Amino acid sequence: MLKDITLGQFFPGNSFLHKLDPRMKLILTLLYIVTIFFANNLITVAILTLAAFLLVPLGRIPMKTVLKSLKPLRWIILFTTVLNLFWVKDGKQLVDFYFIDIYSGGIVYAASMALRVTALLAGTTLLLSYTTSPIALTDGIEQMLSPLKKIKVPVHEFAMMMTIALRFIPTLIEETDKIMSAQKARGADFETGSLLSRAKALIPIFIPLFVSAIRRADDLATAMECRCYHGGAGRTRMNRLHYSLRDLFALLLILLFMAGIIALRWAPLPAFLGI
Amino acid sequence: MKLELKNLSYTYSGDTTFARQAVDDLSATIREGSITGIIGHTGSGKSTLVQMMNGLLTPSSGEVLLDGVNIFSDKKTLRDARFKVGLVFQYPEYQLFEETVAKDIGYGPKNQKLSPEEIATRTLEAADFVGLDRELLGKSPFDLSGGQKRRVAIAGVMAMRPPILILDEPASGLDPVGREEIFGGLLRYRDQTGATIIIVSHSMEDMARYAEDIMVMSDSRLLLSGSRDEIFKNADLLCSIGLDVPEVTHLVNELRRRGYELPDNLYTVAGAEAALRALKAKLQREGAGKC
Repeated sequence: MLKDITLGQFFPGNSFLHKLDPRMKLILTLLYIVTIFFANNLITVAILTLAAFLLVPLGRIPMKTVLKSLKPLRWIILFTTVLNLFWVKDGKQLVDFYFIDIYSGGIVYAASMALRVTALLAGTTLLLSYTTSPIALTDGIEQMLSPLKKIKVPVHEFAMMMTIALRFIPTLIEETDKIMSAQKARGADFETGSLLSRAKALIPIFIPLFVSAIRRADDLATAMECRCYHGGAGRTRMNRLHYSLRDLFALLLILLFMAGIIALRWAPLPAFLGI
Repeated sequence: MKLELKNLSYTYSGDTTFARQAVDDLSATIREGSITGIIGHTGSGKSTLVQMMNGLLTPSSGEVLLDGVNIFSDKKTLRDARFKVGLVFQYPEYQLFEETVAKDIGYGPKNQKLSPEEIATRTLEAADFVGLDRELLGKSPFDLSGGQKRRVAIAGVMAMRPPILILDEPASGLDPVGREEIFGGLLRYRDQTGATIIIVSHSMEDMARYAEDIMVMSDSRLLLSGSRDEIFKNADLLCSIGLDVPEVTHLVNELRRRGYELPDNLYTVAGAEAALRALKAKLQREGAGKC
């Protein structure tokens, strides 16, 4: 039953987005987020949303999965939409029904807010979570933060801790499953009884789990020392990250895109579209 | 208590593309009071099979009958089955959690809602079965040696006094003395309670010594089943599915091939030794007659 938990949302693949350097993807994501905040009218946010969904075929992620990832946000989107719809009092009044006043500005504002949130989520998940393995992401973060080593921030150690933690999540899930089965075979009952007795029933799972986690940590530390691991200083890598033409291309593309969106801020658009 | 398996199948991750058949249409009857061994290659479905026997896994199709009653018929029967069919997992020492050895052994009986006196009796009894020193009962299970921990974990299942006791690789990773202690405990348990014991193992030597009946699994199916003698006669078939017969049987077979008159049912070192001595005496007698 615990095997159903999937870690992160990474989809292994070999697409254009998968092949981008994780550092570049972090930069692209940041630039994309900044661009979203430059967008100040309905047309530009619509373009941004469209651009986000253009990434779907680029990453070869099933459309259904992307839409499913937006599902948890539906209440937030609905809430902001409704709020904006009734409270923004710009532009022409369209509805005047007792306490319900709807203005044209409200509609535009509500629509663009909804699109903005969608674009933000779809764009970042596609660029990062779906197409970057957690390990690659940690590597990328480590290298991007490495200048902080100059002021004695243990960047490498943090990254190693994160990598190890990620590596052991599936192992610990499997272990939990095994221990649960073993205790069930001794008549443990996790499903019935009061909240307190159910909480108590978890003790026979957690103690062996902690014991084994500590034992594993100890073994891993010994194994690392046996291979002369001593932190980040002087350490070289087997898989070095390097930027390729592809990354440059992606960067140019997003910079152009950004420039376009910013230019549209001053474009002579019909006034009612402005936010 | 009689354990029957009827057309059992189990598929992991059923309806998805990752579906994998672990047990395929398996039927068998375990002889009451026997020590039955289940052997098979890694991934042949042994562990899945034994987890269905006590209802931890629900078969995709088929039935597990305990004295004729399907254990999956309702919730209560299923819970009772956990106590009637004791299952000791591989490396059971990693499931210990209590402050003292005695409390850990008593965890199963406590879940059976037995009285404190009964739990105490069962704990002592189970400790005796596995040959655990009574002095150790007050200690923390985490202070024991590997072999002792293993025996505590097995005692924890024996304390529920299951009429059927299943063990998945009970002796793996132990030295010869540790193995001896484990199997000695299992024999004592069988002899004193009349329980049926099912052992899953890779070790042909252990199977030859302790198992009376053997089930051979290959590719999710039951390939062979029968008495130990019947099974080990099929040395070629066993080798072809990546299993083996005991080393000593290879030796005896080789000698037979070279014309020495030896019986074909020698699987233990002790048995082979006796047969070889008898053969030597016979040859010497014949030699003496010629002169």
